[in-house]
Amino acid sequence: MKDHGIISSLLIAGGFLLITPILSIHRVTDFMIFCIFAMSFDLLYGYMGRLSFGHMLFLGTGAYGCGLFIKYISGNPLLGILVGIAVTGLLGMLLGLIIVRTTGACFALINLAFNHIGFFLVLSPLRNITRGEDGFGVSASKLGLLNFGSRPIIFGFVLLCVMLVFYLLKKLTSSPYGIMIRSIKEDETRVRFLGYNTFLYKWLTFVLAGSIAGLAGTLTALNYNYVNPNAMDVNSNVGVVFACLIGGAGNLYGALIGGVTYMIISNFLPIYIYRWEMFLGFSLLIIVFRFRTGVWGYIQRGWEYLGKRKEVPRSVKKEAI
Amino acid sequence: MIYTIVYGLTIGAILYFISIGLSLTFGTMRVINFAHTITYTIGVYVLITLVNFLKWYFPLGAILAILAVIPISYLIERFIIRRLYGESLDYTFIATFAVALIGVDVIKWIWGVRPLPISDPIGKYLTFWGLSLPIYRILIVMIAILLFLALNIFFKKTIVGKIVVAALEDKDGVRCLGINVDKYFSIVFVLGSALAALGGVLYAPISSVHPYMGLSVLLLSFAVVIVGGMGNLNGTFLSAFGLGMVMSLTARYWSQGAETMVFIVMAIVLIFRPIDI
Repeated sequence: MKDHGIISSLLIAGGFLLITPILSIHRVTDFMIFCIFAMSFDLLYGYMGRLSFGHMLFLGTGAYGCGLFIKYISGNPLLGILVGIAVTGLLGMLLGLIIVRTTGACFALINLAFNHIGFFLVLSPLRNITRGEDGFGVSASKLGLLNFGSRPIIFGFVLLCVMLVFYLLKKLTSSPYGIMIRSIKEDETRVRFLGYNTFLYKWLTFVLAGSIAGLAGTLTALNYNYVNPNAMDVNSNVGVVFACLIGGAGNLYGALIGGVTYMIISNFLPIYIYRWEMFLGFSLLIIVFRFRTGVWGYIQRGWEYLGKRKEVPRSVKKEAI
Repeated sequence: MIYTIVYGLTIGAILYFISIGLSLTFGTMRVINFAHTITYTIGVYVLITLVNFLKWYFPLGAILAILAVIPISYLIERFIIRRLYGESLDYTFIATFAVALIGVDVIKWIWGVRPLPISDPIGKYLTFWGLSLPIYRILIVMIAILLFLALNIFFKKTIVGKIVVAALEDKDGVRCLGINVDKYFSIVFVLGSALAALGGVLYAPISSVHPYMGLSVLLLSFAVVIVGGMGNLNGTFLSAFGLGMVMSLTARYWSQGAETMVFIVMAIVLIFRPIDI
Protein backbone atom coordinates (compact mmCIF):
# COMPACT_ATOMS: atom_id res chain seq x y z
CA MET A 1 0.00 0.00 0.00
CA LYS A 2 1.40 3.38 -0.94
CA ASP A 3 1.56 5.63 2.07
CA HIS A 4 -0.05 8.96 1.30
CA GLY A 5 1.11 11.71 3.57
CA ILE A 6 -2.32 13.33 3.78
CA ILE A 7 -4.16 10.22 4.87
CA SER A 8 -1.65 9.32 7.54
CA SER A 9 -1.55 12.86 8.91
CA LEU A 10 -5.34 12.81 9.12
CA LEU A 11 -5.13 9.47 10.91
CA ILE A 12 -2.62 10.93 13.34
CA ALA A 13 -4.89 13.90 14.01
CA GLY A 14 -7.68 11.38 14.62
CA GLY A 15 -5.46 9.51 17.06
CA PHE A 16 -4.71 12.66 19.02
CA LEU A 17 -8.39 13.60 19.08
CA LEU A 18 -9.16 10.10 20.33
CA ILE A 19 -6.85 10.33 23.33
CA THR A 20 -8.02 13.85 24.22
CA PRO A 21 -11.12 12.78 26.22
CA ILE A 22 -9.10 10.15 28.12
CA LEU A 23 -6.26 12.49 29.10
CA SER A 24 -7.10 16.17 29.00
CA ILE A 25 -6.92 18.94 26.47
CA HIS A 26 -4.02 20.56 28.33
CA ARG A 27 -1.99 17.43 28.33
CA VAL A 28 -2.64 16.49 24.73
CA THR A 29 -1.56 19.97 23.61
CA ASP A 30 1.69 19.41 25.48
CA PHE A 31 2.03 15.97 23.97
CA MET A 32 1.60 17.26 20.45
CA ILE A 33 4.17 20.00 20.91
CA PHE A 34 6.59 17.44 22.24
CA CYS A 35 5.80 15.20 19.26
CA ILE A 36 6.77 18.00 16.86
CA PHE A 37 10.02 18.32 18.77
CA ALA A 38 10.58 14.54 18.71
CA MET A 39 9.97 14.44 14.95
CA SER A 40 12.52 17.18 14.37
CA PHE A 41 15.00 15.27 16.50
CA ASP A 42 14.21 12.09 14.61
CA LEU A 43 15.06 13.78 11.32
CA LEU A 44 18.51 14.50 12.71
CA TYR A 45 19.11 11.31 14.67
CA GLY A 46 16.92 8.64 13.14
CA TYR A 47 17.24 9.62 9.51
CA MET A 48 20.67 11.20 9.34
CA GLY A 49 22.27 9.26 12.19
CA ARG A 50 23.60 12.29 14.04
CA LEU A 51 22.89 12.06 17.74
CA SER A 52 22.59 15.52 19.22
CA PHE A 53 22.64 16.13 22.93
CA GLY A 54 21.77 19.77 22.55
CA HIS A 55 18.56 19.90 20.59
CA MET A 56 16.89 21.87 23.39
CA LEU A 57 18.93 24.85 22.23
CA PHE A 58 16.65 25.18 19.20
CA LEU A 59 13.48 24.70 21.19
CA GLY A 60 14.64 27.36 23.60
CA THR A 61 15.70 29.74 20.84
CA GLY A 62 12.29 29.38 19.21
CA ALA A 63 10.53 30.02 22.51
CA TYR A 64 12.67 33.05 23.34
CA GLY A 65 12.55 34.41 19.80
CA CYS A 66 8.78 34.25 19.70
CA GLY A 67 8.34 35.39 23.30
CA LEU A 68 10.65 38.39 23.01
CA PHE A 69 9.10 39.44 19.70
CA ILE A 70 5.63 39.35 21.20
CA LYS A 71 6.73 41.11 24.35
CA TYR A 72 8.75 43.93 22.85
CA ILE A 73 7.71 44.41 19.23
CA SER A 74 4.25 43.24 18.33
CA GLY A 75 1.59 41.05 19.84
CA ASN A 76 0.76 39.26 16.61
CA PRO A 77 1.10 35.53 17.40
CA LEU A 78 1.49 34.36 13.80
CA LEU A 79 4.28 36.86 13.18
CA GLY A 80 5.77 35.74 16.49
CA ILE A 81 5.83 32.14 15.33
CA LEU A 82 7.40 33.12 12.03
CA VAL A 83 10.04 35.22 13.78
CA GLY A 84 10.75 32.37 16.19
CA ILE A 85 11.26 29.93 13.34
CA ALA A 86 13.34 32.41 11.38
CA VAL A 87 15.61 33.11 14.34
CA THR A 88 16.08 29.40 14.97
CA GLY A 89 16.74 28.75 11.30
CA LEU A 90 19.34 31.50 11.25
CA LEU A 91 21.00 30.08 14.36
CA GLY A 92 20.95 26.63 12.78
CA MET A 93 22.56 28.01 9.61
CA LEU A 94 25.36 29.64 11.56
CA LEU A 95 26.01 26.82 14.03
CA GLY A 96 25.50 24.23 11.33
CA LEU A 97 28.56 25.48 9.49
CA ILE A 98 30.62 24.43 12.50
CA ILE A 99 28.67 21.53 13.95
CA VAL A 100 27.93 19.58 10.79
CA ARG A 101 31.62 19.01 10.12
CA THR A 102 31.81 16.63 13.07
CA THR A 103 30.26 13.21 13.49
CA GLY A 104 29.43 10.75 16.23
CA ALA A 105 30.32 11.70 19.74
CA CYS A 106 31.86 15.01 18.73
CA PHE A 107 28.59 16.04 17.13
CA ALA A 108 26.70 15.20 20.30
CA LEU A 109 29.19 16.97 22.53
CA ILE A 110 29.55 20.13 20.50
CA ASN A 111 25.77 20.43 20.42
CA LEU A 112 25.75 19.98 24.16
CA ALA A 113 28.38 22.70 24.47
CA PHE A 114 26.36 25.13 22.38
CA ASN A 115 23.25 24.30 24.33
CA HIS A 116 25.15 25.10 27.49
CA ILE A 117 26.29 28.42 26.05
CA GLY A 118 22.73 29.27 25.02
CA PHE A 119 21.35 28.40 28.43
CA PHE A 120 23.98 30.53 30.05
CA LEU A 121 23.34 33.44 27.67
CA VAL A 122 19.65 33.67 28.48
CA LEU A 123 20.35 33.13 32.15
CA SER A 124 22.86 35.88 32.80
CA PRO A 125 24.34 38.16 30.11
CA LEU A 126 20.96 38.82 28.49
CA ARG A 127 19.33 39.11 31.86
CA ASN A 128 17.95 42.58 31.20
CA ILE A 129 15.96 41.36 28.23
CA THR A 130 15.11 37.79 29.22
CA ARG A 131 14.64 38.42 32.96
CA GLY A 132 17.00 35.53 33.79
CA GLU A 133 15.65 32.68 35.85
CA ASP A 134 12.26 34.25 36.40
CA GLY A 135 11.34 34.25 32.73
CA PHE A 136 8.65 36.52 31.37
CA GLY A 137 5.02 36.34 30.37
CA VAL A 138 3.98 36.13 26.74
CA SER A 139 0.57 37.56 26.00
CA ALA A 140 -0.27 37.32 22.33
CA SER A 141 -3.02 39.59 21.08
CA LYS A 142 -6.18 38.21 19.48
CA LEU A 143 -6.13 37.84 15.74
CA GLY A 144 -9.67 37.37 14.55
CA LEU A 145 -10.66 33.85 15.53
CA LEU A 146 -7.11 32.98 16.49
CA ASN A 147 -7.17 33.68 20.19
CA PHE A 148 -4.26 31.96 21.88
CA GLY A 149 -5.82 32.51 25.27
CA SER A 150 -8.51 29.94 24.60
CA ARG A 151 -7.75 26.27 25.11
CA PRO A 152 -9.61 24.66 22.21
CA ILE A 153 -8.21 27.16 19.71
CA ILE A 154 -4.62 26.56 20.72
CA PHE A 155 -5.33 22.83 20.71
CA GLY A 156 -6.64 23.04 17.16
CA PHE A 157 -3.74 25.19 16.05
CA VAL A 158 -1.15 22.81 17.49
CA LEU A 159 -3.00 19.87 15.94
CA LEU A 160 -2.80 21.62 12.58
CA CYS A 161 0.93 22.19 13.12
CA VAL A 162 1.50 18.51 13.94
CA MET A 163 -0.31 17.47 10.76
CA LEU A 164 1.61 20.00 8.70
CA VAL A 165 4.99 19.00 10.12
CA PHE A 166 4.22 15.33 9.71
CA TYR A 167 3.07 15.81 6.13
CA LEU A 168 6.12 17.89 5.29
CA LEU A 169 8.56 15.45 6.86
CA LYS A 170 6.80 12.47 5.33
CA LYS A 171 7.11 14.00 1.87
CA LEU A 172 10.70 15.03 2.48
CA THR A 173 11.90 11.72 3.85
CA SER A 174 10.36 9.72 1.02
CA SER A 175 11.86 12.05 -1.59
CA PRO A 176 15.36 11.62 -3.08
CA TYR A 177 16.54 14.02 -0.40
CA GLY A 178 15.34 11.57 2.25
CA ILE A 179 17.18 8.74 0.57
CA MET A 180 20.27 10.91 0.49
CA ILE A 181 20.27 11.63 4.21
CA ARG A 182 19.62 7.98 4.97
CA SER A 183 22.59 6.99 2.84
CA ILE A 184 24.68 9.54 4.73
CA LYS A 185 23.68 7.68 7.88
CA GLU A 186 24.75 4.37 6.39
CA ASP A 187 28.07 5.40 4.89
CA GLU A 188 28.99 8.99 4.32
CA THR A 189 32.30 8.29 2.63
CA ARG A 190 30.63 6.32 -0.12
CA VAL A 191 28.04 9.02 -0.72
CA ARG A 192 30.80 11.57 -1.03
CA PHE A 193 32.63 9.20 -3.32
CA LEU A 194 29.62 9.13 -5.63
CA GLY A 195 30.11 12.84 -6.12
CA TYR A 196 27.43 14.28 -3.84
CA ASN A 197 28.10 17.27 -1.67
CA THR A 198 27.27 15.65 1.66
CA PHE A 199 28.09 18.78 3.60
CA LEU A 200 25.24 20.65 1.94
CA TYR A 201 22.73 17.90 2.71
CA LYS A 202 23.85 17.57 6.30
CA TRP A 203 23.71 21.32 6.74
CA LEU A 204 20.23 21.52 5.23
CA THR A 205 19.00 18.74 7.48
CA PHE A 206 20.51 20.42 10.50
CA VAL A 207 18.84 23.73 9.66
CA LEU A 208 15.52 22.02 8.96
CA ALA A 209 15.59 20.01 12.17
CA GLY A 210 16.52 23.16 14.06
CA SER A 211 13.70 25.18 12.53
CA ILE A 212 11.08 22.55 13.31
CA ALA A 213 12.34 22.37 16.87
CA GLY A 214 12.02 26.16 16.84
CA LEU A 215 8.39 25.82 15.81
CA ALA A 216 7.87 23.50 18.77
CA GLY A 217 9.51 26.17 20.93
CA THR A 218 7.26 28.96 19.71
CA LEU A 219 4.23 26.78 20.36
CA THR A 220 5.51 26.05 23.87
CA ALA A 221 5.81 29.77 24.53
CA LEU A 222 2.28 30.47 23.25
CA ASN A 223 0.84 27.46 25.03
CA TYR A 224 2.16 28.36 28.46
CA ASN A 225 2.04 32.12 27.86
CA TYR A 226 5.36 32.08 29.59
CA VAL A 227 9.04 31.55 28.77
CA ASN A 228 11.82 30.72 31.21
CA PRO A 229 15.28 29.14 30.85
CA ASN A 230 13.78 25.69 31.42
CA ALA A 231 12.88 25.81 27.73
CA MET A 232 16.60 25.51 27.05
CA ASP A 233 17.57 23.22 29.90
CA VAL A 234 20.53 21.02 28.94
CA ASN A 235 19.29 18.10 31.02
CA SER A 236 15.96 17.89 29.21
CA ASN A 237 17.72 16.55 26.12
CA VAL A 238 17.51 13.07 27.59
CA GLY A 239 13.76 13.16 27.19
CA VAL A 240 13.77 13.56 23.45
CA VAL A 241 16.51 11.00 22.95
CA PHE A 242 14.51 8.57 25.04
CA ALA A 243 11.33 9.35 23.09
CA CYS A 244 13.02 8.69 19.77
CA LEU A 245 14.56 5.44 20.96
CA ILE A 246 11.47 4.03 22.58
CA GLY A 247 9.36 4.74 19.53
CA GLY A 248 12.00 3.47 17.14
CA ALA A 249 14.51 5.85 15.60
CA GLY A 250 14.42 6.52 11.89
CA ASN A 251 10.66 6.58 11.54
CA LEU A 252 8.18 9.40 11.90
CA TYR A 253 5.48 7.15 13.36
CA GLY A 254 8.10 5.91 15.80
CA ALA A 255 8.85 9.49 16.83
CA LEU A 256 5.13 10.16 17.38
CA ILE A 257 4.56 7.00 19.39
CA GLY A 258 7.74 7.62 21.35
CA GLY A 259 6.77 11.22 22.02
CA VAL A 260 3.37 10.26 23.36
CA THR A 261 4.83 7.37 25.40
CA TYR A 262 7.50 9.55 26.91
CA MET A 263 5.00 12.27 27.80
CA ILE A 264 2.67 9.74 29.41
CA ILE A 265 5.59 8.31 31.38
CA SER A 266 6.89 11.68 32.51
CA ASN A 267 3.41 13.02 33.31
CA PHE A 268 1.93 10.08 35.15
CA LEU A 269 4.82 7.99 36.38
CA PRO A 270 6.13 10.49 38.97
CA ILE A 271 2.74 10.22 40.66
CA TYR A 272 3.19 6.50 41.21
CA ILE A 273 6.94 6.01 41.19
CA TYR A 274 8.98 8.51 43.11
CA ARG A 275 12.31 7.44 41.60
CA TRP A 276 11.35 8.04 38.02
CA GLU A 277 14.79 9.19 36.88
CA MET A 278 16.06 5.77 37.83
CA PHE A 279 13.24 4.18 35.91
CA LEU A 280 14.20 6.26 32.88
CA GLY A 281 17.82 5.16 33.23
CA PHE A 282 16.96 1.47 33.45
CA SER A 283 14.56 1.64 30.55
CA LEU A 284 17.19 3.38 28.42
CA LEU A 285 19.61 0.56 29.26
CA ILE A 286 17.02 -2.06 28.35
CA ILE A 287 16.28 -0.29 25.06
CA VAL A 288 19.96 -0.09 24.18
CA PHE A 289 20.67 -3.72 24.99
CA ARG A 290 17.50 -5.54 24.02
CA PHE A 291 14.98 -3.36 22.27
CA ARG A 292 16.75 -1.36 19.62
CA THR A 293 14.00 -1.13 17.05
CA GLY A 294 11.58 0.43 19.50
CA VAL A 295 7.82 0.07 19.62
CA TRP A 296 7.34 0.92 15.96
CA GLY A 297 9.90 -1.70 14.96
CA TYR A 298 7.82 -4.35 16.71
CA ILE A 299 4.59 -3.10 15.13
CA GLN A 300 6.25 -3.20 11.72
CA ARG A 301 7.54 -6.70 12.28
CA GLY A 302 4.12 -7.86 13.38
CA TRP A 303 2.59 -6.26 10.29
CA GLU A 304 5.06 -7.97 8.00
CA TYR A 305 4.41 -11.25 9.75
CA LEU A 306 0.66 -10.90 9.18
CA GLY A 307 1.26 -9.91 5.57
CA LYS A 308 3.39 -12.97 4.97
CA ARG A 309 0.84 -15.30 6.47
CA LYS A 310 -1.76 -13.99 4.08
CA GLU A 311 0.55 -14.20 1.10
CA VAL A 312 1.82 -17.69 1.66
CA PRO A 313 -1.32 -19.58 0.61
CA ARG A 314 -1.65 -17.43 -2.52
CA SER A 315 1.82 -18.33 -3.74
CA VAL A 316 1.13 -21.96 -2.96
CA LYS A 317 -2.01 -21.77 -5.08
CA LYS A 318 -0.09 -20.25 -7.98
CA GLU A 319 2.40 -23.07 -7.87
CA ALA A 320 -0.42 -25.59 -7.78
CA ILE A 321 -1.98 -24.08 -10.86
CA MET B 1 47.11 38.28 39.27
CA ILE B 2 48.98 35.64 41.28
CA TYR B 3 45.66 34.59 42.78
CA THR B 4 44.20 34.16 39.31
CA ILE B 5 47.10 31.98 38.25
CA VAL B 6 46.90 29.80 41.35
CA TYR B 7 43.15 29.52 40.93
CA GLY B 8 43.54 28.52 37.28
CA LEU B 9 46.19 25.95 38.12
CA THR B 10 43.93 24.40 40.76
CA ILE B 11 41.04 24.07 38.35
CA GLY B 12 43.41 22.77 35.71
CA ALA B 13 44.64 20.11 38.12
CA ILE B 14 41.11 18.99 38.97
CA LEU B 15 40.15 18.90 35.29
CA TYR B 16 43.28 16.86 34.63
CA PHE B 17 42.32 14.23 37.21
CA ILE B 18 38.90 13.81 35.69
CA SER B 19 39.92 13.99 32.05
CA ILE B 20 42.58 11.27 32.17
CA GLY B 21 39.96 8.60 32.74
CA LEU B 22 37.75 9.93 29.94
CA SER B 23 40.64 10.23 27.55
CA LEU B 24 41.90 6.73 28.28
CA THR B 25 38.45 5.15 28.09
CA PHE B 26 37.81 6.82 24.81
CA GLY B 27 41.24 6.10 23.38
CA THR B 28 41.19 2.41 24.22
CA MET B 29 37.55 1.37 24.13
CA ARG B 30 35.97 4.03 21.91
CA VAL B 31 33.37 4.59 24.58
CA ILE B 32 32.30 8.12 25.52
CA ASN B 33 31.83 7.56 29.17
CA PHE B 34 29.10 9.59 30.80
CA ALA B 35 29.17 7.21 33.75
CA HIS B 36 32.31 9.07 34.81
CA THR B 37 30.10 11.60 36.58
CA ILE B 38 28.92 8.88 38.88
CA THR B 39 32.26 7.62 40.05
CA TYR B 40 33.26 11.23 40.62
CA THR B 41 30.16 12.12 42.60
CA ILE B 42 30.06 8.89 44.61
CA GLY B 43 33.65 9.44 45.70
CA VAL B 44 32.73 12.87 47.01
CA TYR B 45 29.66 11.62 48.85
CA VAL B 46 31.54 8.76 50.49
CA LEU B 47 34.14 11.28 51.62
CA ILE B 48 31.46 13.53 53.08
CA THR B 49 29.88 10.66 54.94
CA LEU B 50 33.20 9.66 56.44
CA VAL B 51 34.47 13.14 57.28
CA ASN B 52 31.29 14.97 58.30
CA PHE B 53 29.33 12.23 60.02
CA LEU B 54 31.94 9.79 61.28
CA LYS B 55 34.50 12.56 62.00
CA TRP B 56 37.39 10.82 60.33
CA TYR B 57 40.52 12.59 59.24
CA PHE B 58 40.35 14.02 55.76
CA PRO B 59 43.27 12.10 54.18
CA LEU B 60 42.02 8.77 55.51
CA GLY B 61 38.49 9.55 54.32
CA ALA B 62 39.82 10.57 50.93
CA ILE B 63 41.76 7.33 50.48
CA LEU B 64 38.77 5.24 51.54
CA ALA B 65 36.47 7.19 49.21
CA ILE B 66 38.75 6.47 46.29
CA LEU B 67 38.94 2.79 47.26
CA ALA B 68 35.13 2.64 47.52
CA VAL B 69 34.84 3.81 43.93
CA ILE B 70 36.97 0.96 42.58
CA PRO B 71 34.41 -1.89 42.98
CA ILE B 72 31.60 0.33 41.70
CA SER B 73 33.52 1.27 38.59
CA TYR B 74 34.47 -2.36 38.08
CA LEU B 75 30.80 -3.33 38.14
CA ILE B 76 29.93 -0.60 35.66
CA GLU B 77 32.71 -1.77 33.38
CA ARG B 78 31.82 -5.43 33.69
CA PHE B 79 28.09 -5.14 33.08
CA ILE B 80 27.63 -2.06 30.93
CA ILE B 81 30.77 -0.92 29.18
CA ARG B 82 32.02 -4.38 28.23
CA ARG B 83 28.83 -5.06 26.32
CA LEU B 84 29.31 -1.89 24.33
CA TYR B 85 32.64 -2.64 22.67
CA GLY B 86 32.35 -2.18 18.96
CA GLU B 87 28.86 -0.70 19.17
CA SER B 88 28.10 2.57 17.43
CA LEU B 89 28.92 5.59 19.53
CA ASP B 90 25.30 6.65 19.92
CA TYR B 91 24.40 3.56 21.88
CA THR B 92 27.43 3.76 24.15
CA PHE B 93 26.63 7.38 24.75
CA ILE B 94 23.03 6.68 25.66
CA ALA B 95 23.83 3.64 27.80
CA THR B 96 26.46 5.42 29.85
CA PHE B 97 24.17 8.40 30.20
CA ALA B 98 21.52 6.05 31.52
CA VAL B 99 24.04 4.78 34.08
CA ALA B 100 24.69 8.39 35.06
CA LEU B 101 20.97 9.02 35.50
CA ILE B 102 20.56 5.94 37.68
CA GLY B 103 23.58 6.90 39.74
CA VAL B 104 22.37 10.45 40.31
CA ASP B 105 19.04 9.10 41.45
CA VAL B 106 20.69 6.62 43.82
CA ILE B 107 22.69 9.46 45.33
CA LYS B 108 19.54 11.53 45.73
CA TRP B 109 17.92 8.54 47.37
CA ILE B 110 20.68 7.95 49.89
CA TRP B 111 21.97 11.43 50.61
CA GLY B 112 19.13 13.73 49.58
CA VAL B 113 19.12 16.60 47.12
CA ARG B 114 20.34 19.36 49.39
CA PRO B 115 23.92 20.56 48.88
CA LEU B 116 26.22 19.37 51.64
CA PRO B 117 29.06 21.46 53.01
CA ILE B 118 32.60 20.24 53.56
CA SER B 119 35.34 22.50 54.82
CA ASP B 120 38.89 23.01 53.66
CA PRO B 121 40.86 20.34 55.55
CA ILE B 122 44.02 22.43 55.94
CA GLY B 123 42.64 25.93 56.17
CA LYS B 124 46.07 27.55 56.49
CA TYR B 125 47.58 30.14 54.23
CA LEU B 126 51.05 30.44 52.86
CA THR B 127 52.15 34.04 53.23
CA PHE B 128 55.03 35.55 51.36
CA TRP B 129 55.67 38.90 49.66
CA GLY B 130 52.45 40.19 51.09
CA LEU B 131 50.41 37.46 49.40
CA SER B 132 48.49 34.76 51.20
CA LEU B 133 47.73 31.64 49.24
CA PRO B 134 45.70 28.73 50.59
CA ILE B 135 48.05 25.78 51.06
CA TYR B 136 45.30 23.41 50.00
CA ARG B 137 45.21 24.77 46.45
CA ILE B 138 48.97 24.59 46.12
CA LEU B 139 48.81 21.01 47.36
CA ILE B 140 46.29 20.10 44.65
CA VAL B 141 48.58 21.47 41.94
CA MET B 142 51.53 19.56 43.42
CA ILE B 143 49.52 16.33 43.43
CA ALA B 144 48.53 16.86 39.80
CA ILE B 145 52.13 17.33 38.71
CA LEU B 146 53.26 14.31 40.72
CA LEU B 147 50.46 12.28 39.19
CA PHE B 148 51.44 13.38 35.72
CA LEU B 149 55.01 12.18 36.32
CA ALA B 150 53.79 8.95 37.91
CA LEU B 151 51.46 8.22 35.01
CA ASN B 152 54.21 8.91 32.53
CA ILE B 153 56.42 6.39 34.31
CA PHE B 154 53.50 3.96 34.50
CA PHE B 155 52.82 4.15 30.78
CA LYS B 156 56.45 4.08 29.70
CA LYS B 157 58.05 1.61 32.11
CA THR B 158 55.50 -0.94 33.32
CA ILE B 159 54.17 -3.74 31.18
CA VAL B 160 50.52 -2.89 31.90
CA GLY B 161 51.11 0.69 30.86
CA LYS B 162 52.92 -0.37 27.71
CA ILE B 163 50.08 -2.68 26.71
CA VAL B 164 47.57 0.12 27.24
CA VAL B 165 49.62 2.56 25.17
CA ALA B 166 49.92 -0.04 22.43
CA ALA B 167 46.18 -0.64 22.56
CA LEU B 168 45.58 3.08 22.18
CA GLU B 169 47.46 2.86 18.90
CA ASP B 170 46.14 -0.40 17.57
CA LYS B 171 43.76 -2.53 19.58
CA ASP B 172 43.54 -5.42 17.16
CA GLY B 173 47.28 -5.59 16.80
CA VAL B 174 47.66 -6.06 20.54
CA ARG B 175 44.94 -8.68 20.57
CA CYS B 176 46.77 -10.56 17.82
CA LEU B 177 49.76 -10.87 20.12
CA GLY B 178 47.64 -13.08 22.34
CA ILE B 179 47.07 -10.46 25.03
CA ASN B 180 43.68 -10.38 26.69
CA VAL B 181 42.92 -6.75 25.92
CA ASP B 182 39.62 -6.69 27.81
CA LYS B 183 41.39 -7.33 31.10
CA TYR B 184 43.66 -4.35 30.57
CA PHE B 185 40.74 -2.24 29.48
CA SER B 186 38.99 -2.89 32.73
CA ILE B 187 42.17 -1.96 34.60
CA VAL B 188 42.27 1.28 32.63
CA PHE B 189 38.63 1.95 33.33
CA VAL B 190 39.00 1.39 37.06
CA LEU B 191 42.15 3.50 37.13
CA GLY B 192 40.39 6.33 35.32
CA SER B 193 37.41 6.15 37.66
CA ALA B 194 39.64 6.16 40.74
CA LEU B 195 41.43 9.24 39.39
CA ALA B 196 38.07 10.92 38.79
CA ALA B 197 37.18 10.14 42.40
CA LEU B 198 40.51 11.65 43.47
CA GLY B 199 39.64 14.78 41.50
CA GLY B 200 36.22 14.91 43.12
CA VAL B 201 37.58 14.37 46.59
CA LEU B 202 40.13 17.13 46.18
CA TYR B 203 37.67 19.52 44.54
CA ALA B 204 34.83 18.99 47.04
CA PRO B 205 36.18 21.32 49.77
CA ILE B 206 36.51 24.26 47.35
CA SER B 207 33.22 23.79 45.52
CA SER B 208 29.65 22.89 46.35
CA VAL B 209 28.55 19.26 46.67
CA HIS B 210 25.23 18.25 45.15
CA PRO B 211 23.99 15.22 43.17
CA TYR B 212 24.36 16.94 39.80
CA MET B 213 27.85 18.26 40.46
CA GLY B 214 29.32 15.63 38.16
CA LEU B 215 27.48 16.73 35.05
CA SER B 216 28.84 20.24 34.79
CA VAL B 217 32.37 19.13 35.56
CA LEU B 218 32.04 16.32 33.06
CA LEU B 219 31.14 18.74 30.30
CA LEU B 220 34.26 20.74 31.08
CA SER B 221 36.44 17.66 31.04
CA PHE B 222 34.95 16.57 27.73
CA ALA B 223 36.08 19.93 26.44
CA VAL B 224 39.53 19.22 27.88
CA VAL B 225 39.67 15.82 26.19
CA ILE B 226 38.59 17.23 22.84
CA VAL B 227 41.05 20.13 22.99
CA GLY B 228 43.88 17.86 24.14
CA GLY B 229 43.15 15.10 21.68
CA MET B 230 41.34 11.86 22.44
CA GLY B 231 43.65 9.36 24.07
CA ASN B 232 46.59 11.74 24.09
CA LEU B 233 47.89 11.84 27.66
CA ASN B 234 50.34 14.72 27.39
CA GLY B 235 47.83 16.69 25.38
CA THR B 236 45.26 16.14 28.10
CA PHE B 237 47.68 17.45 30.71
CA LEU B 238 48.43 20.61 28.73
CA SER B 239 44.85 21.31 27.72
CA ALA B 240 43.58 20.75 31.28
CA PHE B 241 45.89 23.41 32.66
CA GLY B 242 45.37 25.65 29.64
CA LEU B 243 41.60 25.55 29.98
CA GLY B 244 41.91 25.97 33.74
CA MET B 245 43.80 29.20 33.09
CA VAL B 246 41.21 30.26 30.51
CA MET B 247 38.51 29.73 33.13
CA SER B 248 40.23 31.69 35.87
CA LEU B 249 41.28 34.52 33.56
CA THR B 250 37.73 34.86 32.26
CA ALA B 251 36.36 34.68 35.78
CA ARG B 252 38.64 37.55 36.78
CA TYR B 253 37.01 39.92 34.33
CA TRP B 254 33.61 38.36 33.79
CA SER B 255 32.74 35.98 36.56
CA GLN B 256 29.75 34.20 35.01
CA GLY B 257 31.35 33.63 31.64
CA ALA B 258 34.07 31.22 32.81
CA GLU B 259 32.47 27.94 31.74
CA THR B 260 31.14 29.36 28.52
CA MET B 261 34.61 30.52 27.53
CA VAL B 262 35.84 26.93 27.77
CA PHE B 263 33.16 25.79 25.34
CA ILE B 264 33.99 28.63 22.98
CA VAL B 265 37.62 27.49 23.00
CA MET B 266 36.44 23.95 22.33
CA ALA B 267 34.28 25.09 19.43
CA ILE B 268 37.20 27.00 17.92
CA VAL B 269 39.44 23.95 18.26
CA LEU B 270 36.81 21.79 16.59
CA ILE B 271 36.47 24.24 13.71
CA PHE B 272 40.15 24.16 12.90
CA ARG B 273 40.83 20.55 13.75
CA PRO B 274 37.67 18.47 13.43
CA ILE B 275 37.93 15.03 14.97
CA ASP B 276 36.43 12.16 13.07
CA ILE B 277 34.89 9.81 15.55
